[in-house]
Amino acid sequence: MSTRLMVNMWGLLFSLLAGSAGAEVVVVVSAQNPTKTLSHAELGDIYLGRLSRFPDGTAVVPVDQRETSPAYTEFYRYHLEKTPTQIKAHWSKLIFTGRGQPPARVANDTAMANAIAVSSRAIGYLDSTIIDERLRVVAIE
Amino acid sequence: MVVLFLYVTHTQAQVVDTPSVSFNGFGTLGIVHSDEDQATFVSSVFVPEGAGYKSEWSAEVDSRLGLQLTANLTPQWSSVLQVIVEQNYNGNYTPEIEWANVKFEVNSELSLRAGRIVLPTFMNSEHRKVGYVIPWIRPPQEVYRTVPISNIDGIDAAYRFRFDDFTNTLRATYGQADKTFPYADETGGWSTGDAQARKGLTISNTLERGGASFFAAYNQFHMTIDEFNPLFDIYRMFGPEGNTLANRYDLDDKRFEVITLGASYDAGDWFLMGEWTQMESQSLFADNRSWYVTSGYRFGTITPYLTYAQQRTHNVSSNPGLSQPYTEELDAFLQSILIFQPRQESLSLGVRWDFTRSMALKAQYDHMNLDAGSPGFLVITQPGFKPGGTVNLFSFALDFVF
Repeated sequence: MSTRLMVNMWGLLFSLLAGSAGAEVVVVVSAQNPTKTLSHAELGDIYLGRLSRFPDGTAVVPVDQRETSPAYTEFYRYHLEKTPTQIKAHWSKLIFTGRGQPPARVANDTAMANAIAVSSRAIGYLDSTIIDERLRVVAIE
Repeated sequence: MVVLFLYVTHTQAQVVDTPSVSFNGFGTLGIVHSDEDQATFVSSVFVPEGAGYKSEWSAEVDSRLGLQLTANLTPQWSSVLQVIVEQNYNGNYTPEIEWANVKFEVNSELSLRAGRIVLPTFMNSEHRKVGYVIPWIRPPQEVYRTVPISNIDGIDAAYRFRFDDFTNTLRATYGQADKTFPYADETGGWSTGDAQARKGLTISNTLERGGASFFAAYNQFHMTIDEFNPLFDIYRMFGPEGNTLANRYDLDDKRFEVITLGASYDAGDWFLMGEWTQMESQSLFADNRSWYVTSGYRFGTITPYLTYAQQRTHNVSSNPGLSQPYTEELDAFLQSILIFQPRQESLSLGVRWDFTRSMALKAQYDHMNLDAGSPGFLVITQPGFKPGGTVNLFSFALDFVF
């Protein structure tokens, strides 16, 4: 078990270093969407299926990346403080009672950018280097 | 591949709100060992086979497979069909419908369901059979066996609203359930009985904020078990005195009331959860109070957890018996049923290992301390069984979802 702990700690350290070296996962909406900020709690509840509207009252459709993508792990670790396993368990709870289905998934950062750009209701996350003029970065406070 | 295809189709579809169908499943492969060979440990009152007497090890206690189809017809209408294969009342593995309901979302706050739906008596009722999402190999039996059924046929309305960062869900459920259960008859063979719950009303409320959750529920239903009532027909032959006794203890449209309070907190790397429940009725079943508290710490993919649980009876009225001659045997029989109720505590120590995506291995040790004179939750007690001892269980399980 101590070996496993060490591995995990090194993994954490590595991802922290990698994170500070440049790549950063940011939360985005379409440039047509007026949302400029969300609280940590609001973002978390949107991605856990508890909140279905933006602060201005319009419906929100969260979009996920694949579970295997680095952005997925980074997003949930940084913004929701949860591991992929915890997210899996959370959605399994809702799926097996018919209370909800997890967010739709896209293959990668580029697909995410395209999906968000065409829908004013969508919210997503991607690597900050992929941002273009069709998207707006949402500040998470 | 079919699963994958359905899933991909579904996820593409959801963005544009077209009808979609998704297929999901869950299951547990588990084995449990009991060191008590004069009685059997089973998963619930509805099944005959378990670990202990006849077989020290049993794969029949915790193993099950669940398959679910979810259809999103329009943004307002959706439907769920869930089928579970697990041991049933005659020891067979016949698929049974766990949920089959249609949901209508009136607006983002109010939704209505009709069909076979969850009976939300406890905090984990909705997923008590999905091993992957619960911390333990099985929910603490002291609390969860109080109301062993997980679904009813009826309707429910859920009203969900937010204030600040709180999400509150208030749910009202109304319906009925029929369950067949096995019992050992006087010939040593198996007979089956039918428990009929009618006019079941449940009001439950869940308040959530971040990792914290508070749960409260009030549940009432009227239960009839005809197989127990011949005993009381005999009592009724003894005039008004016998009639009074029969009315006090029989199971003919008897009202049961269950109150549950629960709280859980998940801090990410550790969690703490507890529930308290009380059941009361004027029947053969003694009133009882149960609670558990459980906690675990996540070291990466390894999560050790610890649980303490107990069930105690209260207001146990001693049967006064009939004052007429030649009724001693009858009174003694009734008294033996009243005394022979589950009263026990248990300490469980386990570890979960999330060794790969969507799968977890669990190992759990349960030390059960049966109260004096009680068989606890053990069934099929043999002549050599001594109530009130201790029983140790060792369990291993593989939980998965897809």
